[in-house]
Amino acid sequence: MTTFDNHRVTPWILLAPQLLVVAVFFFWPAFQALQQAFYVEDPFGLGRSFVWFDNFTRVLASPEYHRALGVTVAVGVGVAVGAMALALLLAVLADRVIRGARVYRSLLIWPYAVAPAVAGVLWMFLFDPGLGIVSHLLAGVGVRWDHHLHGDQALALVIIASIWKQMSYNFVFFLAGLQAIPRSLLEAAAIDAAGPWRRFWSITFPLLSPTTFFLLVMNSVYAFFETFGTIDATTAGGPGGATRTLVYKVYEDGVIGYDLGSSAAQSVILMLLVGLLTLIQFRYVERRVQY
Amino acid sequence: MRYRRPALDWLSHGLLLLCVVAFCLPVWMALTASTHTQTALYTGTAPLWFGGEGLSNFIGVLTAPMDRLGASAARLLWNSTVMALGIAVGKIAISILAAYAIVFFRFPLRRTCFWLIFITLMLPIEVRIMPTYKVAADLNLLNSYIGLILPLIASATATFLFRQFYLTVPNELLEAARVDGAGPWRFLRDILLPLSKTNIAALFVIMFLYGWNQYLWPLLITTDDHYLTTVVSLKRISAASDELIPWQEVMATTLLAMLPPVAVIVVLQRFFVKGLVDSEK
Amino acid sequence: MATLKLTALEKTYPNGHRALHGIDLEIDDGEMVVVVGPSGCGKSTLLRCLAGLETISSGELAIAGQRVNELEPAARDIAMVFQNYALYPHMSVADNMGYALKNRGVPKPERRRRVAETASLLGLEALLERKPGQLSGGQRQRVAMGRAIVREPRVFLFDEPLSNLDAALRVQMRLEIRRLQKRLGITSVYVTHDQVEAMTLADRLVIMNGGRIEQVGTPLELYARPRTRFVAGFIGSPAMNFLEARVKDGEIIVGDGSVLAPAADIQGSIAVGIRPEHLRVVDAGEADLTARVEMLEPLGADTLAYCRVSGLSLPLVIRLDGGAALAEGQTLAVKLPLSRLHLFDLDSGERLPWHSPETSIV
Repeated sequence: MTTFDNHRVTPWILLAPQLLVVAVFFFWPAFQALQQAFYVEDPFGLGRSFVWFDNFTRVLASPEYHRALGVTVAVGVGVAVGAMALALLLAVLADRVIRGARVYRSLLIWPYAVAPAVAGVLWMFLFDPGLGIVSHLLAGVGVRWDHHLHGDQALALVIIASIWKQMSYNFVFFLAGLQAIPRSLLEAAAIDAAGPWRRFWSITFPLLSPTTFFLLVMNSVYAFFETFGTIDATTAGGPGGATRTLVYKVYEDGVIGYDLGSSAAQSVILMLLVGLLTLIQFRYVERRVQY
Repeated sequence: MRYRRPALDWLSHGLLLLCVVAFCLPVWMALTASTHTQTALYTGTAPLWFGGEGLSNFIGVLTAPMDRLGASAARLLWNSTVMALGIAVGKIAISILAAYAIVFFRFPLRRTCFWLIFITLMLPIEVRIMPTYKVAADLNLLNSYIGLILPLIASATATFLFRQFYLTVPNELLEAARVDGAGPWRFLRDILLPLSKTNIAALFVIMFLYGWNQYLWPLLITTDDHYLTTVVSLKRISAASDELIPWQEVMATTLLAMLPPVAVIVVLQRFFVKGLVDSEK
Repeated sequence: MATLKLTALEKTYPNGHRALHGIDLEIDDGEMVVVVGPSGCGKSTLLRCLAGLETISSGELAIAGQRVNELEPAARDIAMVFQNYALYPHMSVADNMGYALKNRGVPKPERRRRVAETASLLGLEALLERKPGQLSGGQRQRVAMGRAIVREPRVFLFDEPLSNLDAALRVQMRLEIRRLQKRLGITSVYVTHDQVEAMTLADRLVIMNGGRIEQVGTPLELYARPRTRFVAGFIGSPAMNFLEARVKDGEIIVGDGSVLAPAADIQGSIAVGIRPEHLRVVDAGEADLTARVEMLEPLGADTLAYCRVSGLSLPLVIRLDGGAALAEGQTLAVKLPLSRLHLFDLDSGERLPWHSPETSIV
């Protein structure tokens, strides 16, 4: 490949803005988080002492952290399974009806543009114990809804709002994936006398597996990080920590509790977790490319 | 080939429409709620149909500072717009240049630069939030537009997409341009940028949404309501407290917070879908 | 207008691959030189070194007597026609053709005049406002030519410019390129892997193999006196026949014992080359060999006969008149005219100096 080889300074001029921003707002903070994780700051900010892995062991041993991990997994599984299953169903239906797939895409795509916090507030209104139309309907079947009091209901609210937003993203990808499947394959299966149900599970679904996997990772990342807005705007981690995810805990311990060492240690653990997820995704995608 | 089964077709349309309606329900309720007075709202369950106060509610939140905030919705929207545009334009600009250097030049430490930039893909701002806050504070960027924008530009998603695109540009175009006497800057301006138009549009949509919908970072960095963004303001005005929640104001503001990004996605859907699907690769 | 001089030109890639092993070549002003060879022979690398798209590892390249090794492509005053045309897809035909002039600061009125002139030369007037995407393959090819011509460069470089066209268009464009080049009189280097294209276009041909020049000469020189077995096999279609032979007691013997000619100054095993069009079918008494027809390829004007000769491993190809009455399985009495024989060393592939009795008589 030909390149501009004789220009020695130009590439550095081109790279300078990005490198500068990344150095100041990414590497320097990341390095500080790493460093901070090994220190304990005294409450008055007068000094700090090096404590080896104390912050990590303290975090990992704390029941609150285990609880937050549980909440995170619950949100992750709930959002991923709910949003993906619903999106796949709708994408299959939209792909089936010859006319209108694009119209349905337009009608279903817009929640993606809605901020997680906004999604939370919208659904909070529907579930408002006094005014909410859904809570009113639930009362009709004997469910007393108040997410300010009941932890599991608060968790459900967060998951429902997140599914509502994340579904559209999954729908776009599933529909694109379905439309990319060569018609001739399905025709061959139809000639081999496979019924629609069978055709879906033996041909369509396996061919969609790269998309499914990609979405699984993306939905997990969403559930981990971006639900922060939804949670903070609706339940603020409550009641009693029922919706306190790992990221929310980093925020609470750091910003509100000002326990910097613990917050940093949690950040580092999260970094490792995300790094792992990304690595899995890269490896998987690489393998897929050869297939 | 599809089996022609009209009944199944109608069932599909029925299910799809049902879901579309269900998806619209929260927005419908927000619309109706925003057109009633607070007193009317609190007479029972939220009304399913419009009231007569829509115009005055919207004018109210847009013109005067709200009860629980020191800013009007107009101010909030302006702040959100500045942040979203700043992030979209800034990210695209620095990414175009950085990807150009990495793809079309050979220089020492090129691979190192590549990895330094792309490792940022792995860590969202949420995980390094505290130290980033400290850096912003040290640089005197709290309560400023620069502070809202710059830290969120420090990620390589756009750089990565531009790199992918540049790699698909036929090498012979560069050779032809060199023979035609174009240096690096001319090639970028005359050939590469015009060819990147749709990619730039797609990224603009995605980055605008990303910027507009930011929550945690603006929440931390703005303590002065003068710099508060629309999305972040919602928590403050909708939080449960001793007073009744002014739902008509909350819903009007919520709708205003949704309007720009939803408008962008609906109008520029073609670019958005392309941008999303490209970013998978 | 310019001459081109290559002295001991070498190209070694960073990965250690040596693409060019010391190329020496002089090209006259206004001459059309075609570089031809199999893929991987280094012909494209050579062209890209001339263009300045690849750096030259050692040796010297001079245009009009001036060393240009270190010059950027644009500063060498060359124009190049690319295999995929490399037209800028977002620019109109006129802008594509005028881009180089614009970069050199040629004022707009002059630019427009020169583009219009070139367009009329190539019959592109009606297409000037179109984008490359709206053109056919042949039209794109013309625009690529126009982009090179409008520059009025000192040297034209062509990188397999016709390989993306269909056969009929290729013949037509071949003629047009030759006509234009002669008319403009600009020194040209043309790279191709198609030997018919090479023969028809070239003032002189350069045959490359394995990063070296095998032979340089006019098409007819190369056809008549190939310096190596490689050149002999590469030039001419269908390719030259090579017969295994040995020289014993001063005589050349092929197959299972036919004596061809005396060859006092050669020893051992050799390859005897003869072109299919030079073999003659004769009466049994005059024949050097008998060949059994295995397959016939009637081409209309000619018929190619693929024959088996006892004692030879490869089939012998004979080009016969299209009207000849032939059948598969038939036996032919074949004569190898001595003046048409080419002898090659088996190991080095070099042509062996040899004066056939017939030529010396004539």
